[in-house]
Amino acid sequence: MDYPDGVSAATVGVYVHVPFCERVCPYCDFAVVGVRTLTAEVERRYVDALLRELELRRPAFAGRELASLYLGGGTPSLCRPESLARIVRAARAAFEVRGPVEVTLEANPSTLERERLPGFRDAGVNRLSLGIQSFDDATLKRLGRAHRGDEARLTLQAARTAGFEALSCDLIFAAPDQGLPQLEADIDELLAFAPEHVSAYELNVEPGTPFATAAERGQLACAGEDEALAMWDAIESRLEAAAYVHYELSAYARPGFEAVHNQRYWRRQPVLGLGVGAFSTDPRGSRGDAPFGLRRSNLRSPDAYLARIEAGESAESEPAEALSPETARAEAMFLSLRTRSGLDAAAFEREFGRPPRGFYPDEITTLVAQALLAEDSAGGLRLTRRGQRLSDTVFANFVELGD
Amino acid sequence: MDRTLIRNFCIIAHIDHGKSTLADRLLEVTGLVSGRDRRAQYLDNMELERERGITIKAQTVRLPYTASDGKSYILNLIDTPGHVDFSYEVSRALAACEGAVLVVDAAQGIEAQTLANAYLAVDAGLEIIPVVNKIDLPSADPDGVAEEIEEVIGFDAADVLHVSAKQGIGTHELLEQIVSNVPPPKGDPDAPTRALVFDSWFDPYVGAAMLVRVVDGKLRSGERVRMMAGGLEKEITELNVIDPRPRRVEHLEAGEVGVVIAGVKTLAEVKIGDTLTMTSAPAEEPLVGFQDVKPMVFTGLYPIESDGYEGLKSALEKLQLNDASLVYEPETSDALGFGFRCGFLGFLHAEIVQERLEREYDVDLISTAPTVRYRIVLTSGESKEIESPANLPSAGELHCIEEPVVLATIHVPQEFVGGVLKLCQERRGVQRDMVQHGTRVQVRYDLPLSEIVLDFHDKIKSVTRGYGSFDYELTGYQASDLVKLDVLVNGDPVDALSLIVHREKAYSRGTELTRKLKEFIPRQMYEVAIQAAVGARVIARTTVKALRKNVTSKCYGGDITRKRKLLEKQKAGKRRMKRVGSVEIPQEAFLAALKLEDS
Ligand SMILES: Nc1nc2c(ncn2[C@@H]2O[C@H](COP(=O)(O)OP(=O)(O)OP(=O)(O)O)[C@@H](O)[C@H]2O)c(=O)[nH]1
Ligand code: SF4
Ligand SMILES: [Mg+2]
Repeated sequence: MDYPDGVSAATVGVYVHVPFCERVCPYCDFAVVGVRTLTAEVERRYVDALLRELELRRPAFAGRELASLYLGGGTPSLCRPESLARIVRAARAAFEVRGPVEVTLEANPSTLERERLPGFRDAGVNRLSLGIQSFDDATLKRLGRAHRGDEARLTLQAARTAGFEALSCDLIFAAPDQGLPQLEADIDELLAFAPEHVSAYELNVEPGTPFATAAERGQLACAGEDEALAMWDAIESRLEAAAYVHYELSAYARPGFEAVHNQRYWRRQPVLGLGVGAFSTDPRGSRGDAPFGLRRSNLRSPDAYLARIEAGESAESEPAEALSPETARAEAMFLSLRTRSGLDAAAFEREFGRPPRGFYPDEITTLVAQALLAEDSAGGLRLTRRGQRLSDTVFANFVELGD
Repeated sequence: MDRTLIRNFCIIAHIDHGKSTLADRLLEVTGLVSGRDRRAQYLDNMELERERGITIKAQTVRLPYTASDGKSYILNLIDTPGHVDFSYEVSRALAACEGAVLVVDAAQGIEAQTLANAYLAVDAGLEIIPVVNKIDLPSADPDGVAEEIEEVIGFDAADVLHVSAKQGIGTHELLEQIVSNVPPPKGDPDAPTRALVFDSWFDPYVGAAMLVRVVDGKLRSGERVRMMAGGLEKEITELNVIDPRPRRVEHLEAGEVGVVIAGVKTLAEVKIGDTLTMTSAPAEEPLVGFQDVKPMVFTGLYPIESDGYEGLKSALEKLQLNDASLVYEPETSDALGFGFRCGFLGFLHAEIVQERLEREYDVDLISTAPTVRYRIVLTSGESKEIESPANLPSAGELHCIEEPVVLATIHVPQEFVGGVLKLCQERRGVQRDMVQHGTRVQVRYDLPLSEIVLDFHDKIKSVTRGYGSFDYELTGYQASDLVKLDVLVNGDPVDALSLIVHREKAYSRGTELTRKLKEFIPRQMYEVAIQAAVGARVIARTTVKALRKNVTSKCYGGDITRKRKLLEKQKAGKRRMKRVGSVEIPQEAFLAALKLEDS
């Protein structure tokens, strides 16, 4: 494993955020805006801005090999294939390309996007991530999604026909009034399409969303802790039975199809984020005072973003955060523990000067005694089955409180 | 100073009947406050008083007034608080006056503290000027209220002044009556000096300031005075009158009210009710002072942050400089750590002190359930007083527990009597009598103090839609069937939640407590059993199931920083929790359990 960003792995992943959705789902707290139709005019202006930002930001990643490009959102598939092709070309031109590059596109099951799938394939997208969520019309409706079960099915078929190398599907659980049987039916139906990758997300009620308001009013019947746990278990057992590897808390893949781009986050590898609300982690040492890298975040308003970029300025919403050793250490702990491979004590020691026990002796002893963490003879750590389900409780032990 | 031109009076009333607003008008018509300096309830100058719209501390001001007889008088006004917790302030004010303006709200009529304060004034031998205030209100019934005053207190309804403090109606008549009806101060200007200390406060520049009423003789700046009870001797460095700001004077004569500064460093050295005399020619007999004010309600106060003890300690020290009625001593709790057991005059006082500590001194507090001072009789025949359930001896040593009882006087419109009787009954009250005055009824009950300290006043207000009022005085102690109710988490007692309750209420309190705790104790790694017990007998039990899932699904790009912050928040929350055995209990659980309604 090229942990965390060894010299040999001087790579970069590029994330591109397209903030447009046909309508904004009531639980969504991403940087998105609703547009009934994305006009060619707006699309071109936005893509121009993305490419300008790429030029602006690329020096920090200069000379790196492009490992992945992730077109996320929002709904990037609302863009025409030509626009996406421009982005793919620009990213490839901006960095070194030596081998295959994972190019992921997020798409929703709509007619418009379905018809464009072959075009996307031709634009260079080799991995399609579909926002299926559920096949159940009632669940989709309660979630405020624009599509229905049939569209999901058609899109899955079309994706197969279009011939993407990998197909990933998002599945939502603990949605309002969903219930375990419904979720199980969703999993089974999804498995029939044999996607290479599945991301299963529990519905989180995020502050400020319409769902949060509904929840406050007691109008949202989401699963309680016990039921959500049963759902988690059901997803894991069914997918594992179908030979998927549970390689990260919410991600499953057939061997060899683990998401290259997503893994960069858990491995703390540099990612250049472009577009509205995008986040970046610049590589270590990219600024003198940032031995552990820099975290940057862009403005969340499309107008403000465009204005800044078109003026040739940075679109960052706040000054970059130079990660402190403590912060980097905490992130190393909780990000690597999210993964099946867990934390490599030797790599950790190389980076921070001491093995995990050198920083968290009591915490690790207690967590091991509570059967939340498993420790190997080399000091490496992994979450146990129980620990996965209580991962936030485990992780809270490793963050620092400034006081 | 011609004593025949001095009038000393105070304004007394039930809470909110308009004393401070009336004082405003008197300050204005006498020209003391005008224009830019005007503000409602001018004399309420503490931030808390202004915020809550109530008077907490009595205030004194000297008004110059030229009456219709053409003579220039000095009127010394004392505005008093109406709330029962601070009625000692009224008693002190009365001792400095010859007259009292009794204000009654024209819409509310006579209420509990109207009577209580009127009786205090009568007992102190003061001339009372009854006034009906707020006659501008649409719901005002000045004539009805005047008749009520005649019937209940015995003044001729025809003599009751009609006033609107808000609109300034009737203020001249009132001033004239004060001049003509309130007698000038008695006392002998040539006798050895005696001045009654009836209030004091802490001034960061000069130390303790003493508000005095000179009864005999004269106080002179620069001379030495002795406190007759306290024994302290000091030189007077400053004499002031307040009109409305402190103004230096050279002497204060018999009949006058003013402020003495004498290099006294702390309030603890000043005993309110003490008599000042001149060292050079001391008086023989001191004046009659005041009974000590005794704390009635006790709570444990603990800093929320475990390192907040020193901060709390110094905050209490500073606060006590200004509020000598606050008493405290160190106390420790297994659950809450180091803190203090504090004594207060009543629940409002407790609330105010806590608020001031939190706000002015920036300490976050957790307070244990209020208790009263119990008298414990041991099997050995000895008896002692305790102010905390933790100090209750074991059942074997205990012969009986006696609790303080009060005589509560409740005033209520007839239609709400039923609700009041029911409430008193529930609170273990025994009715003394019930008298009807027009459409209002006065009910008197003997009630355990513990039953009224927390929320009785609010309850009275709610069962009477705000029209009821109540007053109480301590009458003694009585033996009661009281037990100690303990709360246990996974078998470990949470000492801070122990209560002394009547046996018949133990079950409902225990059930409520465990239910509340369950609501606020988050799921933990292991199941948590919450029990309420009397002695070894568990009377209520619930469990908090073990935490089995705590995971957020996504964690990508930007989520990393956010995710880390959420984890930090989770950890910070955990750090603020108190640990009892292996169980972590959040502050909110204590707060909720301690806020439990007395049911
Ligand atoms: N309409 C009307 N309102 C009045 C009058 N006098 C006082 N008030 C209002 O009654 C409320 C209480 O007035 P205060 O002067 O603070 O009463 P208080 O008796 O000093 O209250 P405590 O000091 O807390 O006992 C305030 O809202 C006043 O504005 C009046 O003559 N007419
Ligand atoms: S489609 Fe996805 S990004 Fe768009 S609003 Fe819905 S949840 Fe948010
Ligand atoms: Mg007042």
